[in-house]
Amino acid sequence: MAWRSNSTSTRWWYQGTKATDADIGICDPGVGEWGPMTLVDALFGAFALPFMARALIVMLVLAVVAGVVGVLVNLRGLEFISDGLTHAVFPGLAIGLAVGGTAGLVPGAAVAALAAAVVLTWLDRAGITSDAAIAIVLTAMFSVGVIVVSRGDEYASELEALLFGRVLTIPPESVVPLILVCLVAVVAVVVTMKQQLLRAFDRSGSRAVGDSALVLDLVLNAAVALVVVAAASTVGTLLVLALLIVPGAVARLMTERLWWLFPAAAGFAALMAWLGLALGFAGSVAGGVDLPAGSTIVAAFVAGYGIVLLGRWIADRRLATKAGVPQPAGTAAR
Amino acid sequence: MALTPSPVLRLIGAAFTHPGGSGVTGLDLTVEAGTALALIGPNGAGKSTLLRGVLGLVPLTAGTMELGSVEVRGADGASGPPVPKHTRNGMIGFLPQSSELDPDFPISLEQVVMQGRYRRLGLLRWPGRADRVAVRRALETVGLTSLAKRRFGELSGGQRQRGLLARALAGEPRLLLLDEPFNGLDQTNRDALVDTLRALKLQGVAVVVSTHDLELAKEVCDLVALVNGTQLAFGPVDEVLTLGNVQECFDGVEVELDEHTLVVPGHEGH
Amino acid sequence: MGYFERALVAAIIIGAGTGFVGALVVLRRRTFFAQALTHGTYPGAVAAAAIGVSVPLGAAAASVVLVGVMAGIARIRRQGAQVAAGIVLTGGFAAGAILQSLIPGLPVQAESLLVGSILTVTDGDILLAASIALVAVVTVAVFGKEIAFSTFDQPGFRAAGYREWPIELLVLALTAATVVSALPAVGAILAIALIAAPAAAARLVVPTYRGILLTAPLIGAASGVIGVIASRGLAVAAGPSIALAATGFFVMALVISKVRGLAWKRVPIPVETAEDARTA
Repeated sequence: MAWRSNSTSTRWWYQGTKATDADIGICDPGVGEWGPMTLVDALFGAFALPFMARALIVMLVLAVVAGVVGVLVNLRGLEFISDGLTHAVFPGLAIGLAVGGTAGLVPGAAVAALAAAVVLTWLDRAGITSDAAIAIVLTAMFSVGVIVVSRGDEYASELEALLFGRVLTIPPESVVPLILVCLVAVVAVVVTMKQQLLRAFDRSGSRAVGDSALVLDLVLNAAVALVVVAAASTVGTLLVLALLIVPGAVARLMTERLWWLFPAAAGFAALMAWLGLALGFAGSVAGGVDLPAGSTIVAAFVAGYGIVLLGRWIADRRLATKAGVPQPAGTAAR
Repeated sequence: MALTPSPVLRLIGAAFTHPGGSGVTGLDLTVEAGTALALIGPNGAGKSTLLRGVLGLVPLTAGTMELGSVEVRGADGASGPPVPKHTRNGMIGFLPQSSELDPDFPISLEQVVMQGRYRRLGLLRWPGRADRVAVRRALETVGLTSLAKRRFGELSGGQRQRGLLARALAGEPRLLLLDEPFNGLDQTNRDALVDTLRALKLQGVAVVVSTHDLELAKEVCDLVALVNGTQLAFGPVDEVLTLGNVQECFDGVEVELDEHTLVVPGHEGH
Repeated sequence: MGYFERALVAAIIIGAGTGFVGALVVLRRRTFFAQALTHGTYPGAVAAAAIGVSVPLGAAAASVVLVGVMAGIARIRRQGAQVAAGIVLTGGFAAGAILQSLIPGLPVQAESLLVGSILTVTDGDILLAASIALVAVVTVAVFGKEIAFSTFDQPGFRAAGYREWPIELLVLALTAATVVSALPAVGAILAIALIAAPAAAARLVVPTYRGILLTAPLIGAASGVIGVIASRGLAVAAGPSIALAATGFFVMALVISKVRGLAWKRVPIPVETAEDARTA
């Protein structure tokens, strides 16, 4: 199966699957021999290729779901826990892979995520400072994963594939389960949305009104874990984390209206995923530059963040000078 | 709201105790609809504990509590505060003493007040016409209608407090609990709050206010309970709020009594 | 010195230095910041490896940029420290991955940058770690009181007329330097274990600030040694072994603190009736 490729950076026009010229649609798949590529080719034409189309569908679904969940991650300040979970699934992926092949990836990840969630909750109730606890749990689990992987063959490529993903070699049979899991995550969050927002805004008010902090936290952490589990095996743990963190942060920059945060985050994520995929494709095929898909998409996300940040800064200065007030020195809210 | 014949809140021989052991005991009081009870006592006397106990956040470890028609019996040494069904019915509104709310949170005043409707909506339903009407009415009661669309974090301290009061009111509670709401309020906000409480009494809401401000107690409230670790006195304001009782409650601190007010040094206007 | 002996020396020095500064990181609740640095400096490490200079040097250069970026983003009202750390973590790590794939034939195996390779540590790396540890100890010796004050009572610190930013900057610089020094031993992904676990373990069993600063480096050094020995004995990678050893100490400390807590715990709460409690 294609995911056993020996190099991290998968050549964009040849997946190690049996792609024929008809699939690819070009005559001569040599490096840089595609010829000048138009913008339209990169942005649209590329996705005529089946593996590109699959990558795009998966990324768009993930972008929307992770965007919605990511807004809550941002409002609750759960960035570090999400980082912890992405590292924690690593041993699950490694063991699942070793034991059951590709079919073992998702169950393995699920078990690992569950174990991590239980341990983190228990540590939290035992009164351990949560950020040190997260760091310890995540590296312990990650270490176990590294040891497992290091015992197998193709250590280096396996490690990197799990970290940086295999966006372009998503097996067709993985697409539907991934979409379903993401659906469950987003439904869970939407159903409890009012209470989640209240808890994010006013912790003690939420308690005073009788909402169970434990249940709400479990639901949200479970939704995050589901996204991580579903996505990590396909797009890699790094990309999942970016999906959960960046769109929410961007949405906060774009708007102060609560309900607009969600479409803003999802839209940004979808747009950047699309551009990232197209960019990597163009770079690889036209420029002869072999870029790993997952990391390219993350780079697009962070670049997009930078642009929005710049735009926000400019907009704030314009507003400030219009109102004639000196630029306030923004201090961190958290 | 029609006045009901049975009291809204009744505590009989009740005690609320935190898991660590501290708490407040010996509570015997009754609050009817449309009346206001002042909870008076020094810092640490257990006023907040009492309010949180009524909410179900602190265990009832002795005696009985009646909320409307719901009766809750105290259990000895309860291990964790379970939230009894009565708070889930949304009949209680609560304004806490201080809230540490993120001033940058992207939420408007109107949306904050709408949070007060969530208990009635439950998990699956989303706000409808009736809820928007209730929110508007709550904002009118506290006098913040013009600021409805403003971001909550942009409001002044006094306005935020009134906003949270509106949130407590939006749920159309029968019993309203306020924990030291007058602390640090300037005169304008203080007067506004007094007017609001008077209006609520007319609407038939039962009110319990904890405060240091004895003048306020006389101004707004019909009943008083003096508390210092345990209940020392309870009854109509004019009978109970005497120099002697207050001195005992505040542990013999020198109390001044002038024409209209009882003033405890260090607690004026707090 | 054989490679194994060198690895042991490195384990002790790096473990101790990292544990020491890790105490400051954990007590000041900057663990996510440190985590972001460990991942964010990865591109610097890759570039350094490609050019042929010492990996910590490249990481150090990257960390200067990252600390600046994080501080900048953290100050923005709508963003904050968590977002800043998250952005730097993902962005930096992705940059490293892209760089790695662009550079043909890296002299260093990529995964050694990720999970460490203490068995191939150089004298330069050891010297760097020792110097950083020394600087850290001297800094705390000189500024220890101010650091403690600002860590445990921030409003009081400000009220007493001190300014926050020098202390913050000092600790941040020490943290970045320590992250950089830990990379050869445990790599970018596992470094946080050596930073957080010894300090968290110390904090559980030692009640005083000074005690934690003394115990954490001991635990860190011990983790390093145990990890290296276990790695040789069990034929597994050294980086994860060190990380797991540190975690093991943490778990032990957890158990000890729970057992201690249990011994004092069962004080019966007297049950009062309303009548008994009512005063005259």
